[in-house]
Amino acid sequence: MIATPEISWIAIAPDLLLALGAAAVLLVDVQWKPPARVLAWVVGVTLVSAIGFAVLQWFQAHDAMAAGDSTTRIAFSGLIVMDGFAVFARLALLAATALGVMAGWRFVVSLGRRGAEALALILLATAGFSLMVASNNLIMLFLGLEVGSIALYVLAGLSRERPESDEAAIKYFLLGSFASAMFVYGVALIYAGTRQFEILEIRGFLGNFIVTEPAVIYIGIGLVIAGLGFKVSAAPFHTWAPDVYQGAPAGLVGYMAAVAKVAGFAAIARVLITALGDLDLTWLPVVAGISALSMLLGSVLALVQGDLRRLLAYSGVAHAGFIMTGVVGGAFDAILFYLAVYAIQLVGSFAVVAVVNGPDGAGSAITDYRGLARRSPMLAASFTVLLLGMGGLPLTSGFIAKFGVFTEAWAGGYQWLVIVAVVASVIAFAFYIRVIVVMYMDESIDQVELSLGPARWVLAVAVGTTIVWGIFPTSLLELAADALPL
Amino acid sequence: MLTALIVLPVAAAIVVALVPGRRREIHLPLGIALSATPLALAGYLFWVFEPAAAYQQVERAIWYEPWGISWYIGVDGISLPMVVLTALLVPISLAASTSITNRTKEFVVYTLLLEAGLIGAFLALDLFLFFVFFEAILIPMYFIIGIWGGERRIYAAVKFFIYTAFGSALMLAAIIALAASHTAEFGFTSFALTDLVNADLTTGAERWLFAAFAIAFAIKVPLFPFHTWLPDAHVEAPTAGSVLLAAVLLKLGTYGLLRFNLSLFPDASVDAVPIMATLAVIGIIYGAVVAIVQPDLKKLVAYSSVSHLGFIVLGTFALTSGGLQGAVIQNLNHGLTTGALFLLVGMLYDRRHTKRIADFGGLQKVMPILAGFFLFMAFASIGLPGLNGFVGEFLVLIGSFPTLPGFVIAAATGVVLAAIYLLWAYERVFTGVPDKEENSILTDLSPREIGLLAPLAALIVVIGLYPGFLLDRITPSTEAVLDHIVDQTDFVIPEPGRVDDVLVAGDSS
Repeated sequence: MIATPEISWIAIAPDLLLALGAAAVLLVDVQWKPPARVLAWVVGVTLVSAIGFAVLQWFQAHDAMAAGDSTTRIAFSGLIVMDGFAVFARLALLAATALGVMAGWRFVVSLGRRGAEALALILLATAGFSLMVASNNLIMLFLGLEVGSIALYVLAGLSRERPESDEAAIKYFLLGSFASAMFVYGVALIYAGTRQFEILEIRGFLGNFIVTEPAVIYIGIGLVIAGLGFKVSAAPFHTWAPDVYQGAPAGLVGYMAAVAKVAGFAAIARVLITALGDLDLTWLPVVAGISALSMLLGSVLALVQGDLRRLLAYSGVAHAGFIMTGVVGGAFDAILFYLAVYAIQLVGSFAVVAVVNGPDGAGSAITDYRGLARRSPMLAASFTVLLLGMGGLPLTSGFIAKFGVFTEAWAGGYQWLVIVAVVASVIAFAFYIRVIVVMYMDESIDQVELSLGPARWVLAVAVGTTIVWGIFPTSLLELAADALPL
Repeated sequence: MLTALIVLPVAAAIVVALVPGRRREIHLPLGIALSATPLALAGYLFWVFEPAAAYQQVERAIWYEPWGISWYIGVDGISLPMVVLTALLVPISLAASTSITNRTKEFVVYTLLLEAGLIGAFLALDLFLFFVFFEAILIPMYFIIGIWGGERRIYAAVKFFIYTAFGSALMLAAIIALAASHTAEFGFTSFALTDLVNADLTTGAERWLFAAFAIAFAIKVPLFPFHTWLPDAHVEAPTAGSVLLAAVLLKLGTYGLLRFNLSLFPDASVDAVPIMATLAVIGIIYGAVVAIVQPDLKKLVAYSSVSHLGFIVLGTFALTSGGLQGAVIQNLNHGLTTGALFLLVGMLYDRRHTKRIADFGGLQKVMPILAGFFLFMAFASIGLPGLNGFVGEFLVLIGSFPTLPGFVIAAATGVVLAAIYLLWAYERVFTGVPDKEENSILTDLSPREIGLLAPLAALIVVIGLYPGFLLDRITPSTEAVLDHIVDQTDFVIPEPGRVDDVLVAGDSS
């Protein structure tokens, strides 16, 4: 009898549930053609139980860490880890997904019978990214990345009637697969240099041996950074972001951007800091350069955008740069805190876009927001909080997040990067403020009442967490500090 | 008690925000009534304040242990006058805002939040906390200028925001650097001012950090050449905004230079004296000269602020007892007189809907009470003996003389220029015959408006005649700052630069 390797179901329970949920959505839809309400229940139950299992994972990982026991946290022969870092990132992904489904619900409904496709794709994308943040193996990481990314390509093109949506999907797909190819080639080169796929093994190898011919590994690292840099839209790999943010269905962009950022940065942190930490002299200057370029390019280009979604896309480039300062500082907790905070704010912001410009909304010119404070004071106030939060104003969680990554980068010896970062933050204020000016200080062009629908819950959560974690950040900071990778 | 001073305005803002929007008539009175509670508390604080160097009423609660940040607030002789001034001016400027009929509720809410931020910034003893308040103030002020301002309000609001945000961004980097060097030296992270003053910095690092803080505060003051946002912001802001901006917000700059630059970077402060004094004197003369030629009354008062705040910076960097005392007291004085002048300009504007000096003339005949108040405030601002401006400017000039004689001589021309621009403005606006028809039908101040100006006028006289009650409270703290500088550097304060020198000289005569 062949001995089967022990299977730790708990390590993949949330991801498994998400995949099953996606299948269930499709099957229920085909079999009974139920109203959207029923599908909402299926998705809701899936997400809630996935979150439940993730919380369970958190406690198991925590207990294992306290006991100094590393074996319970490694599953599937080293393919998957269940450490605090993975679980925290997974919880952030699940939160962004839950909020994203609510923000995009109107769009899903507007698709009619095709709504189930959107929901299944969302659950699949999250399942892929959730595996990606928990993978201890570069091949596994690539699989998760592809499962997630391919689902996102399709989501971007879901509004088939609009050419911009098709354009966004094609662009995202072509450039995205190119980036994936670069990533996987980089993985191959790292394997060639170290004979290892497993992140912990690579770390062990590099810690114990001196690499005599490092060029192969160096090129591999460069390709991996480029591939993952694409996913998080860091400059100069960001060119897809504005078109995709603008063309993809308004209700889904926030979700798409948020999960890609969370998963991408979790992978970057794990691969660079954990696996390649001993070679940090090679990649630190590169990452610092990408970080500075992203912050400056993103915030300067965001200044001149006339379309809110493009503005948010370029601001996303700047945020990729800000989070990279945390990577430079080597601080997992600061990165996680930033990711959690930013992902929620991003979903919230696009929830506003979806309300104002319609769930599918072709354009979202900033002038559409004129006088929003009169039309819908609560919506404008919520958006203001989110914009200021993304800008990093004190008393919002965005400030705590920025402060965290900046201090780490400073302590890591990259003082110049912090100075670039604070200057970029000021430029960022300028374009966030521009939107607020339009909402509050211009007269309204349109008096049509806006109805928020499920987006109201998204905004309540996003605004609430932005303020509460801005004033009392301790709870989340402590969780993030506990969320150490293996 | 200090926490209550910060929380009360926030609570008041929440209460006003909860009042339904259609009850327009009660937002403003409710705001005024609620803002009287922090004022009462600030008065009580002034009363129980012990004239001693140490921080008083200190409250400290850990915010997030690993980062070493805490809710750490306390008051001393340097912050006390500013806290009282803020608490006093908020009800007054709210009560002066009856002409705001558009979105009154939001206006009251923003003003109260601004008050909380300002008081918080003056009380904060933790640099992280200070930065939070320092930045948080921008938002309510930004909305106050941007929503209720004049025609170019959006431009002015954005300019104000970007300028100050740029300055504070540099300061944030410097705060991080300072905390990092403290961690490296002492092994634990802290942002508390009382811990960071002990950090031992290399000369180069100290100069860079000094520069970062100084630029942030110089933009706020504003010192020449960082002043270009100020006329725009002042002119476009509504009256209440201008009053709070000039009287309190700018003081964050001078207060910050005195509180943070001098204490945290004593060596660099001593080295920077020539630069800061030069900028201060340029500001004094430049502000005054530009004020003379302004055709707009509000802009004239705005540029006069540039000039007056130059005196405060000069006094601060004179590094003598008199200079520092003068700087602190002038912080308060300028708030009272300029606040009152902006109120008067606002009252004129409410009646005549213009601020152009050329549109007025002969108003003395039509509105004698307003003219009288204006003349009184102008005298206080010029520094007429017996009024508060004299005490402050005289202390600054005489106190700075031992260390910066040349600068004092140049600065003294600012006093003369102040007389020129204010009295000439008075002459053009108020004297002569009312030759324009619109001007001859204006009504004089109402009892309500007199009631707003009277407390300021009373304080101006009291401080002018008996500054001792303030100086008693201020001096121990300013002396402590000087002691710290003398301890940390090899800077020797020439006689008679210290209070003790003056006393000895007085005794012997």
